[in-house]
Amino acid sequence: MTGIRHYLRVFMESVRMELLEVAEYPANLAGWALSNPIQFIVGFATIKFVVAEFGTINGWNYGQLAFLYGIAVMSHALSMIFFIQGWFMGYYVVEGDFDRYLLRPMSVLFQFFFTNINIVGITDLIPGVCVFAYGCAKVGFAWSVGSVLSLLSLLLGATLIRGGVYIAMGTLSFWTKSTSQFAMFTQEFFDKTTMYPLSMYPEALQFLLTYIIPIGWISFYPAGELLGIEQTRFSFSGMPFVTLGVGIAVLMLAGLFFKAGLRNYESAGH
Amino acid sequence: MKPVNFAAYKYIYTTRIEKSLAYRFDVFAGILFQCIVMFATAFFWKALFAGTASVQGVAVNDMLTYTVISAVMSVFLAPNVEQRVIESVRQGTVAADMLKPIRLFGEYFAEDLGMCTALIFQNALPILAIASLCITVPKPASCGAFLLFLLSFAMSFFINWLLAAIFSMCAFTLMDMSALVQVKRHLIRLLSGSIIPIWFFPGWLANILRFLPFIYIYQLPLELYIGKGSLSAQLPQMGIQAAWLFLLLSAFLILEKRVLRNVLIQGG
Repeated sequence: MTGIRHYLRVFMESVRMELLEVAEYPANLAGWALSNPIQFIVGFATIKFVVAEFGTINGWNYGQLAFLYGIAVMSHALSMIFFIQGWFMGYYVVEGDFDRYLLRPMSVLFQFFFTNINIVGITDLIPGVCVFAYGCAKVGFAWSVGSVLSLLSLLLGATLIRGGVYIAMGTLSFWTKSTSQFAMFTQEFFDKTTMYPLSMYPEALQFLLTYIIPIGWISFYPAGELLGIEQTRFSFSGMPFVTLGVGIAVLMLAGLFFKAGLRNYESAGH
Repeated sequence: MKPVNFAAYKYIYTTRIEKSLAYRFDVFAGILFQCIVMFATAFFWKALFAGTASVQGVAVNDMLTYTVISAVMSVFLAPNVEQRVIESVRQGTVAADMLKPIRLFGEYFAEDLGMCTALIFQNALPILAIASLCITVPKPASCGAFLLFLLSFAMSFFINWLLAAIFSMCAFTLMDMSALVQVKRHLIRLLSGSIIPIWFFPGWLANILRFLPFIYIYQLPLELYIGKGSLSAQLPQMGIQAAWLFLLLSAFLILEKRVLRNVLIQGG
């Protein structure tokens, strides 16, 4: 019990440090507060224009697409707040930055996974919430205890899936010793596969994006179920909670992979 | 006026080609990245056009060609000059670059040309081959259309480079501008017609965009390639493109002098 309290204190302390850091460079935050909303709001606006011209994308009208896009952006934002460190693991490995974690009297996995908070990610969260609220209004989303629980569970699950994938990708650097940034690819890949209905891809690709790389669970299946849109052959009911389960599983696998990678750490650069 | 020392620029150009050839992993990563965008966009259009023969006078195959050529163009429309200036200013190495007996931005331009030359073989041709096999063979509307495309794309290359160079000059005064670079990147991506052409935008927005330089980077050359619209509509558009090129070149030359007159060297 005291163990958990200790971990919680360390977590809160790292949040406090991050807040202080952000306060130190307000211009940086202001820059991202401008840039990130532009990206997502203009991005959604272009989809809206196209759908206005064509009617629907694979049976999704634009209110439903806003709902889907909102979930995709919100889970992206949450993963940026809690798991952005996965993007920079190459530098940690090459510069020998894991030394710092290894020397501290606490599990390296906990420190690395849960004490890197990136407050600037909130600048992604705001446009996500806006587009999502717009989508909810358009589709007349039925708010209830059940639907709120579903949303919370799917957002948590989706965040863990993304975070797990980022850290798993970053863990590869323990072997490649390369700082090559997978960040841009993973971001682009997630954007294209979570913001549009997965059903627009061929079935083989859908299978791949459901069972091999678990992306469909982030937004497409749970949003489809919540909106009552006819699903594909790969979906079944209870999706929002399946997403949570998949998220926990992905993060745990990423943790195991991370531990294996850490054994290969050579503390280069020091 | 001093004669231009072409040999020096040519040396920088060839060095940059050799440097590009040294990083094999980046090459595969680049191809992979472009292909993800290209395939996703192609499936997007296929899903939209399902059950519709043509929208705004464009059929699905035109949009697939548009998508493929846009992906190939994007290889050449990602100049390094911004990153180069930002890094040099932050680390103070810009001082060393300025000591060389050549123009600072001339050096950066030669580097970018070298990079693009290497990218023809490293990215553009592989992407074209993959697209031809898996999506569609991107045939131009006609031989004349192809020539107009080449001319317009040459102008769009310069417009894009000049915008990046002018933008990078802010680094001399702002010091940290990573967020601003992202704003510009997203605006160009979304408003240039690189993914979604502005025919599909509401009329008022499309009209505004016709007077901004963005669509002259991607959309105009692409329209010429797929032969959308008549020659009498296309030529005035190319006129506006040329005007933007002239305007940006003048702005660049004026700003270049001003900015380089007082540079703050950090860390050096």
